[in-house]
This record gives sequence, structure tokens and C-alpha cells, in this order.
Amino acid sequence: MKASRFNVPLVSIGILFLSLMIFSAHQPGVCLAAEVKLDCDIQSSSCRKQINGRTVDLEILPKPVKAMKDLTFQVKISGDSFSEAPFIDLGMPGMKMGPNRVILKKNGVTTYVGQGVIVRCPSGKTIWQAVVTLPDVGSVVFTFDVIY
Amino acid sequence: MLSTNSIYILFFTTGVTIGFGHCIGMCGPVVISLSLNLKGGPSVWPHLIYNCGRTLTYGLLGGIVGGMASFTRFAESIDGLQKGVMVVAGVIITLMGLTMTGWIHTSVIFRAAPPVGTFITRTFKQLLQKKKHPLMYLPLGLLLGLLPCGPVYTALLAAARSGMEADTTLGGVLSGAGLMTCFGLGTIPALFLVSRLTDLRWLRHREKVYKIGAVLMIAVGVYFIWKGLRF
Repeated sequence: MKASRFNVPLVSIGILFLSLMIFSAHQPGVCLAAEVKLDCDIQSSSCRKQINGRTVDLEILPKPVKAMKDLTFQVKISGDSFSEAPFIDLGMPGMKMGPNRVILKKNGVTTYVGQGVIVRCPSGKTIWQAVVTLPDVGSVVFTFDVIY
Repeated sequence: MLSTNSIYILFFTTGVTIGFGHCIGMCGPVVISLSLNLKGGPSVWPHLIYNCGRTLTYGLLGGIVGGMASFTRFAESIDGLQKGVMVVAGVIITLMGLTMTGWIHTSVIFRAAPPVGTFITRTFKQLLQKKKHPLMYLPLGLLLGLLPCGPVYTALLAAARSGMEADTTLGGVLSGAGLMTCFGLGTIPALFLVSRLTDLRWLRHREKVYKIGAVLMIAVGVYFIWKGLRF
């Protein structure tokens, strides 16, 4: 690339912009995507959502729900049973954390249980999502706060 | 159920995705700092060696969690170490920035620094001097591979699960190490791209840009120290 007197300001602006992007990625509570609302107080009790006429209850134990700890995920689903077990994908809204799936196994007529870990994000962001997928039905998303 | 080869490919592609979607934002400051620190010197080999160091650390961590077949037990045991690594990374970047601005001479730093061993002091001096041997970036990569990172934790979680499924402890070690090495290799393209974008040898009057970059490096370094102390 041919050197030009305009390149210094341009590159400086580029470095400043890149730095701002990087710093914003590190700030807790700041998310470049649309603001995410908590809809599940998992620290107090289980959470409930509806999908296609079915009720889905999500429970995470033990309390308080902490990151980097072995957790038990329990899902109760009303209605007919499934040909395949549902599963949970854990992630953070607005930030790629890699695939983290909780495999659920049937434990009773309407209950599925699995083990998983919610990892810690060094950015300090504590809002996590559990996407519960019911085969042939769809997915419900629970958004909650986790303790680091 | 995925075949063994498919899982390794999956980890590699996950690394590529995470590299471009996460690593650039979170580890970009480190890579940019290392680039600016080279100040117009050859940058391909130092960055490749840095990334090799980082990947070796990931492989080592993967082998450990695979052998232990538990992510949470391992994570508890290295919590303090990772905090320290983040603080040390911040100190290194801050000092790099200070020497690049010319505000502090390297001799002042080493007179004031506590005695930490000949090898560490010699490595540090090499990093802060104008002429740097590319191999100096290997210990840096090995160390900074220990920085706390959400996606790395997620990958380690999967590596631990592979260890649970292995027939023997050695099998767990090998599968964990292999998976994490594939993940680390996948993250290299994104960070290497950042290093190429901040290679300013072609730029006239780049000294001004280095000064601006050095000030930003100090800010990033201080931020890392603060984050590490709060982690």
C-alpha cells in the first residue's frame, strides 16, 4: 500500500475505533445487541413458560445458581411424551460462548433431568439464557441472572 | 452420535467461529499490543509462535480436564492462577506501552522490579527491547493461554465430557488434549488477521501512530490489571 499523508489520521481513527469496540465488549451490562430482559428468577424458584399449549417448567439446582459449579437441570413438560428427549442449550445473549448443551434424560412421566455447567464470562456479564428445545414442538427461552 | 474425526473437526470449526465472533473483541487488545510492540519489525513469525504457545496451553489444559474427567474441579484449582495471569498480562502490556512512549526507560523498570529469577527477567528484557527474537513470543503465548475466557471454559467442559466417556485415564488425557488443540488451532486465523491489520511497516510517519497505540496499550494494560484484581 502506498504511503500517504492521510494514512496517519485514518489509521489512528481506525485504532481508536477498534479500541472502543474492544472496550465495549469488556464492559458489564453493555451489549451491542438489543437490550435483553430477565424473565426468570431462577435464584428463587423454578420458571414456567408456554409453548403450543404445553407448559414447560425449568428448575436449576442447587440454589443459589452459580457459575462454574455442577448444576442439575430439571425440565417438566405437560402433555404427551416425546419420541426424543428435549435438550437445553446454554448461552449468553449477545455474546458467543461456544456450544454448551445439557443432555436431558427422562426421570418420571413428565420430567427430564440433566447435568451441566454455566461457565463464567470474564467480562462480568451475568445474564444467561437456557433454550429448552422440545423435539417436533419448538423452543422456549428462559433468561436469568447467574451468580459468579 | 458424532464420529471421533467429526468431533475434532467440530472443535476446530467452533474455534474458528469463536475466534471471529469473540476472540477479536476480548483478546484483540493483547494481539494489537504485541503487534505495536514489534515496531515495524518482522511480525509473522512472532505472532505464529505466540499463537502456537497459546494453543499448546489449551492442549495441556484439555489433557488435564480430560484426564480428571471433571471441569469444575479443575476450574476451582486454577481460579487464583488465572487471576494472577490476568494481572501479569496487564503489567506486561502496561510496561510495553510505557517503554514504547519513551516515558520510562527499560533500565528504570528493571532497577525497580523485584527479583523474579534470571530466566523471567531475561525474557521480559527481550520483550521490551527494540530487537526481539521471535521465540520470545512463545513463553508469552504459553502464559496468556491461561487467561480466563468463557469460550475456552465451554470447550474445556466438552473436553472433560470426552474424558468421562473414555475407557481409560490416558484415553481421556489424549482426547481432551486433542480436542482443545483443535479448538486452539481454530482460533488462530482470527487473531492472526488482527496482527496483520496492525502491522504498520508500510505506513509513513508511523511513529505518531505508535505513540497513540502505546498510550492505548497502557490503558488496556491498566484495565487488565483492574479486571484481574476484581475477577
